[in-house]
Amino acid sequence: MTNASEVLSSIQSAFPGAVLDSRVESDRRLWATIDSKKILDVCKHLTAKLDFDHYSGSAGVDWMARNEMEVVEIMTSHGAHQVVAMLKVKTPRDNPSVPSLVPLYWNANWYEREIWEMLGINMEGHPELYPLLLSDPLVGSWPWRKDFKGYPDLTTGERAVAITTPEGYTDYYFPPTQAEVEAGTVVAERPKYPTFLEREEREIKSDSEMIMHLGPQHAMVPGPFLLDILVEGERVKKAFLDIGYIHKGIEKIMENRSWLQGITYTDRMCYVASLTNNECYCGAVEKILGLEVPERAQYIRVILEELSRIQSHLIGTGEFLTLIAGVGFAPWQYMIIDRERIISLIESVTGARLTHTFVRFGGVRNDLPEGFAEQCRKDLPYMKSRIEEFIDLFAQDPIYHARMENIGSISPETGKRLGCSGPVLRATGVAYDMRKEDPYLVYPELDFKIITGTRGDSADRIDVRLREMLESIHIIEQCLDKIPSGPIKTEAKIPKKVPAGEAYYRVEDPRGEMGMYVISDGGDKPYRVKVRGPFYATFQTLTPLLEGVYIADAVAIAGSMDGCPSESDR
Amino acid sequence: MLKRKMIKNFTWPLKTATREIEVTRLYPEFMMNLPAAERGIHELDATICIGCGTCARVCPNSCIEMVNFKFGSPLKNKKMQFPQIDYGRCMFCGLCVDECPVECLKMGQKVTMAGWTREDIIKSPDFLATKRFSAKEVADLEAEAKRIAAEKAAAKKAAAKEGAAKEGAAKKPAKEGAAAIKNGEAKPKEGGAA
Ligand code: SF4
Ligand code: SF4
Repeated sequence: MTNASEVLSSIQSAFPGAVLDSRVESDRRLWATIDSKKILDVCKHLTAKLDFDHYSGSAGVDWMARNEMEVVEIMTSHGAHQVVAMLKVKTPRDNPSVPSLVPLYWNANWYEREIWEMLGINMEGHPELYPLLLSDPLVGSWPWRKDFKGYPDLTTGERAVAITTPEGYTDYYFPPTQAEVEAGTVVAERPKYPTFLEREEREIKSDSEMIMHLGPQHAMVPGPFLLDILVEGERVKKAFLDIGYIHKGIEKIMENRSWLQGITYTDRMCYVASLTNNECYCGAVEKILGLEVPERAQYIRVILEELSRIQSHLIGTGEFLTLIAGVGFAPWQYMIIDRERIISLIESVTGARLTHTFVRFGGVRNDLPEGFAEQCRKDLPYMKSRIEEFIDLFAQDPIYHARMENIGSISPETGKRLGCSGPVLRATGVAYDMRKEDPYLVYPELDFKIITGTRGDSADRIDVRLREMLESIHIIEQCLDKIPSGPIKTEAKIPKKVPAGEAYYRVEDPRGEMGMYVISDGGDKPYRVKVRGPFYATFQTLTPLLEGVYIADAVAIAGSMDGCPSESDR
Repeated sequence: MLKRKMIKNFTWPLKTATREIEVTRLYPEFMMNLPAAERGIHELDATICIGCGTCARVCPNSCIEMVNFKFGSPLKNKKMQFPQIDYGRCMFCGLCVDECPVECLKMGQKVTMAGWTREDIIKSPDFLATKRFSAKEVADLEAEAKRIAAEKAAAKKAAAKEGAAKEGAAKKPAKEGAAAIKNGEAKPKEGGAA
């Protein structure tokens, strides 16, 4: 199997002089600085020759002291090998610009838009460089640059001045105060681009077409996002997605909090998956620190993360099935009743029902309480029988089938090209799961299967989630048998200041591949935290999937993705 | 065929709903059983809190403020500063509990804290303290602290005098003076314990 040094030597021999700097961290991690003129060729080479068929995202970093900016392209493979290549491209800080990878990888689109709006790095050749998360008045302030001075206060209503737009609508404008101009928080020069509305309206080609809004507050969506569909009759011609309604700037906040405090912020990216978010952040920091996690703590983490996966899948499935409402029985309340048992189990260990703040650097917060294993052995078989019942019920419901089967189908090739992961990708038949792909904790010692579907449609996505819960139960049962006694925290002292370094750590979130790229400059706070969320990637695939479907199916497709805008907006 | 299949989807919920109806929690009439690990309202053991302020520094939401409170130990907590928690901001993450060096801050199973105003839910050490000294004990401890302080001051003075007397002799006396202070510190502590 290919390993990192082989990949490096292959690049070096194919493009002499393209690799400016490199570091082979392990067999599975390659860090290389690539000449920005060659990056497109290098990526092409990686994809064509070395099976790097998964563009997993990119991160922008502002190195103010060095007066340069960096874009890190994360290249991985869908199962051909386990190497993650972190390819850095440097650009001077004044007038930063790097080549865009959108011509090679369709899914680079959102990642690069985000880098542009947050750091002001121009993406040469990007077809649609529009803001994604920020609202229009804030674009141009480049908030993730290290010398960013803060936003002007746009929250006070008294400051707003009403203006009438040419179409006759009332809009509001916030004239900057003198103090703000002096402090430098006002955007001096806003980049020019067509707004979301203009982009939508130029797609309307005839009188028979119109735009329908689903969201930002819609019964269909689990959090606020705007899905506008251009319809002609009952058919969706084109879909437009506007996200960023709950952009909290978590990555920026974490740069201003101590390492330990950062854990609480990872909870709040997505509350149903907060344990895996904790794990991802702590794992990355542990990698920088070089900490060994005691085995018992690893088992506890696995048990809780699998429990958390079960409850996340229950809420994802249950919530969604009420949306399509075509099912003879409404499983929502039954799934919530069952989920309560799982939540109680988690609560008995972590002390909190949702935002757990449980995983710590080098261990966990609490040990398993007395009687936990017995309670698990009582509840898990019950859960198993219930989930089997659900599978049975869904399998024989004709309305459910009419509503879900062959709706929003993705082929394995498309799934890989679009860059989605988790149950959405596995439903297409691609066995891509971080627990096998980039093994962490004690997963290599446990026996479990990767659940895959065959058709890649909405029904399969639900089916994969349901069967994954059974697999999780199987994992937990093994863990309960195998868990050793011992300490739950490493004995090593965890320093307040983390030594300079960087790490990329991936975990399998209930929604798919989640990675965190953490950089330390030796200070008591992270220098940069980049969250590569699973739903961000899946979300991006929504617009092409919706083209050509019926309006009613839009809900079935969007819902079956088990969305969490909170996590994609961060 | 279609109808027969559909029927199960109505009978199943009917059966299940009649079997398992006890789901609603009758809160607040009946409090549910909370696990021992529950992270509820903080419990402060004022008798051992040293007023170091670690909890206030580690809190991600800055909801802890160190305030004056009378019923702690003046021996351990010289400035008599104890944590006051703003539950309007607290997210019950438990970092303050983990980082407390003497483990005097805990989180308990008490979870009711509603108030009519924002000020109502800023809870003072008086509310948080589950263990505290009575006024009399505090007075005794204060006297104790005063005595120690006085003894210390006396020891210091004596050391200073000694130092002054032996000023002519170069470095050695200074060391002795320091040793004298250390001895002076150690003694009253034993007295305090007795
Ligand atoms: S509660 Fe603990 S951390 Fe807070 S001031 Fe007291 S001793 Fe220090
Ligand atoms: S529980 Fe967390 S938020 Fe609440 S006071 Fe403690 S550190 Fe602050």
